[in-house]
Amino acid sequence: MPISMGLPPARVLRDRARILAALRGWMHQNGFMEVQVPIAVQSGALEEYLEPLALGELQLHTSPEFALKRVLSIGLGRIYWMGPCFRGEELGPHHSTEFTMLEWYRVGCGYQGIADDLISLLQSITSALGQSLPSVERLTWQQAMERHARVQIPNDPEEQMRVWVNDVEPRLQSPTLVMDYPARDAAFSTIRGQVAERFEFYWRGVELANAFTELLDPEELRSRWAASAATRRELGRDPHPEDERLAQAVGRHPYAGGIALGVDRLVMLLLGTQDIHQTRIQG
Amino acid sequence: MATYSTSEFKNGIKILVDGQPFQMVYFQFVKPGKGTAFTRTKLKSLINGSVIERTFRSGEKVEVADCEEVTMQYMYQDGDMYNFMNMESYDQLAIPEGIMEYEVKWLLEGMEVEVMMYNSRPVGISLPHFVDAEITYTEPGIKGNTATGASKPATVANGAVVQVPLFIEQGEVIKCDTREGGKYMNRSKE
Repeated sequence: MPISMGLPPARVLRDRARILAALRGWMHQNGFMEVQVPIAVQSGALEEYLEPLALGELQLHTSPEFALKRVLSIGLGRIYWMGPCFRGEELGPHHSTEFTMLEWYRVGCGYQGIADDLISLLQSITSALGQSLPSVERLTWQQAMERHARVQIPNDPEEQMRVWVNDVEPRLQSPTLVMDYPARDAAFSTIRGQVAERFEFYWRGVELANAFTELLDPEELRSRWAASAATRRELGRDPHPEDERLAQAVGRHPYAGGIALGVDRLVMLLLGTQDIHQTRIQG
Repeated sequence: MATYSTSEFKNGIKILVDGQPFQMVYFQFVKPGKGTAFTRTKLKSLINGSVIERTFRSGEKVEVADCEEVTMQYMYQDGDMYNFMNMESYDQLAIPEGIMEYEVKWLLEGMEVEVMMYNSRPVGISLPHFVDAEITYTEPGIKGNTATGASKPATVANGAVVQVPLFIEQGEVIKCDTREGGKYMNRSKE
C-alpha cells in the first residue's frame, strides 16, 4: 500500500516543532535526562507480533526499550528518548514503517506514577498549543470491554481482540487510561494476580501510549522470550534473537515504571489531521 | 480459488463475504496493544449497495469475487426487462428492473452503462456520471423569474425527477449529475 503524499504545510511542521519542544521541555523540567540509544541493534523486539526490519546483520529497533533498561541498570533513574522506531508490516493512517516514539522511565514508581506523568505531560503540551486536556477517565480493561462490547464477550483471546477493535477502541473518544490488561498480554510488565500492571492511553479512538510497571525478574523475562519464540515458530516466522544483556539489566534495575508514546499520533490529534503521514516529511 | 491477503487490501477490490460479492470502500490497519493485527473494512454490497463493516485478522485470506464490469448499450424495454447490447461481442442481455431501481429512471436509448457481472449474471449497473436528458414534463416557468434558489420539479429521461430552476421549460435538454440523485447542472449546449 504505497502512500504518496505531498509535503505537509509549513503550519503543520511549525506546530509539530512546538509540540516536540514542549515534550522535551516537560522532560527537562521534571528531571528526566535525554539518553541516546542505538537504532541498529542485535535484537529488535520481544513481542511475537512485532516485525523488526533487518539492517545487514543487525535489526532496526522497534522501540528503545532494551537500551533504556540497560541505562536504568547503571543507576540513572529518570531517563527518556525521543526518535524514530521501525516496524515492518504496519501501514495505515495510524501506522507507518518509520514513526516517532517518546519513551521514558521513572525509578521508584509503577504504572500509576507513570499515569500521573502522562497526564501532567499532556496538560503541558495542550496548554502550549492553547488547547486543554479534557478530564481523563480510568477504566480497567475488563470495565472497558463490559461497557462498550456490543456482543457477549468471547472467551477466545483473539476473538476478544476483535471485539476490542470493532466495539471498544472506536468508543474510547474522551481521554481514557485503560488499566490492567489480561496477564497474557503482559509483554514487559509485572503480573499481579490475573492482570498485567499495564495501561494504554486512548484519546479520540486512537491508542497514544502504552505503559508498564516494569518486570524485574530475569527468569520470567527469559520464559516470556521462549513463549514468544514458540508462537513465532507456529506462525512460520523466525523467533526474535534473545538479548542476554537485557535479561541482566532487568535483574539489576530498581522498581520502575516506563511508557512509550506515539509522537506522530499525538501531533495528528492535536493538529486535527487524519493521518500520521501528514504530520511529517515522508521517506 | 483466487484470494486476497489482508496486506493486498485496497479500495475497489471485490471480495466474497458470506458468499456475497462486495467492493471494498474503506480499510484501516489496526494493531491493538500487544496482540495480532487486524484490518477494519467497510464493504459495499455489489448486489444492493448496502455498506457493512468487517474486521479481518492480518494474514487472513479472502476470496476474490469473480466480478467484471462490461460496457453495454441500452436498447429497449420489454415489460420488466431492459435489453442491453455488449459493445464488444454484440451479444444481447436482458436485465430485470429489480436490480437497477434507481438507474432505470435514467435509461435513455443508446446510453452506454457499465454492467456489473457476478458469476456471469448481472447484479447492477453504473450510469454515466453526467446525462443530457430532455424534460418530458414540468410546470410552465414564470417569465423573467431568475431568482436564485427557487426551483421546481421536472421529469426527465425515463421518469427521473430532478429539481430545476424556474426558468427551465418543458422540452429543454439539461445536464444532470446522476451521482447526486440527479442534480441539475446546467442547460445542455446544443
